[in-house]
Amino acid sequence: MSSSLAANGDMLVILRHAPHGSSWLREGLDAALVAAAFGQRVSLLFQGDGIMALVPGQEPGALGQKGTAATLDMLAMYDIESFYADASALDRFDMAPDDLQLPSLPVDGATIAQLIASHRLVLTF
Amino acid sequence: MILHILNRSPGTSLVYRDTLSAMGPEDRLLLIEDGVLGALTSQVRHFQSVEGRLFALREDLASRGLEGRCDETVQVVDVDGFVTLTEEADKTVSWF
Amino acid sequence: MRYGLLVQGAPYSSQASHSALRFATALIARGHQLECVFFYHDGVYNASRLAAPPQDEPHLVDAWRGLNAGHGTQLQVCIAAALRRGLLDERESARHGKTGHSIEPPFELTGLGQLVDLGNQVDRLVTFAP
Repeated sequence: MSSSLAANGDMLVILRHAPHGSSWLREGLDAALVAAAFGQRVSLLFQGDGIMALVPGQEPGALGQKGTAATLDMLAMYDIESFYADASALDRFDMAPDDLQLPSLPVDGATIAQLIASHRLVLTF
Repeated sequence: MILHILNRSPGTSLVYRDTLSAMGPEDRLLLIEDGVLGALTSQVRHFQSVEGRLFALREDLASRGLEGRCDETVQVVDVDGFVTLTEEADKTVSWF
Repeated sequence: MRYGLLVQGAPYSSQASHSALRFATALIARGHQLECVFFYHDGVYNASRLAAPPQDEPHLVDAWRGLNAGHGTQLQVCIAAALRRGLLDERESARHGKTGHSIEPPFELTGLGQLVDLGNQVDRLVTFAP
């Protein structure tokens, strides 16, 4: 777990909702993608139920709802490369940090506080 | 100093725990909407770690009939006070 | 100071719109500038020109319009979030072959890039969510 000083950036997007159950995650990722396309340095923090976005093997919904797994693969194309995962949520859901769809750095509360402090703008979804 | 704004009751949502753990030592927490339920004497123990930095919005307490039940350790602010808190903070983070 | 608000809650479903309007009025009264309110997620419903609340309830859509008329605050609605939810201005309505429109000025359909710009322009961006 990292407790070292976190990266600086223009925008920290905190994703707190799981895929499929609501549009929060998708709309949060859209905001991150657009910000990156506008040249902002964007970091993503998956927190609470939001770490479910990182579970491998997600599928579209039964009606063909896209979900968000495909969007995660696009992040690198937009030069979003700073991914953080709430360590306590990983523990709670028994998820191994090396078995995530995106390689994300597990972070504790103190590091999350540093992330919030070191990004000019913080948006929660 | 960062102003954190929380609108969920500790009785229905655990988001307050993530909020508290994400707060720096100087940061402040403002309870609004259903968040003001956390300011009641019976609930305020959840926010012990930010005692002295805990605020609640008066009109959200009053509309719920809770002004008299707000714990005395909580600093009650009106909407002007809300604006002042945002002036004094470097930025705000909303938790819901 | 220059402020921007991000509203993500639908009117009459959550308190988010009320809280945002109260905060908007108070910050303007304190002499600050409210540049823009950006509506995203279910907040886009705040822009519906067809909202018809009972007369003894606050008319939230009119209150937003009042901010624009009285203070020049821009009212921007995320186009991707709005179109999915059936909120279209005249131009989008025609483009999609619909017979009516549900958004009109002073609300403007715009891209998420405007939210990014807003975040860069203002001193404080405050989110009101459901």
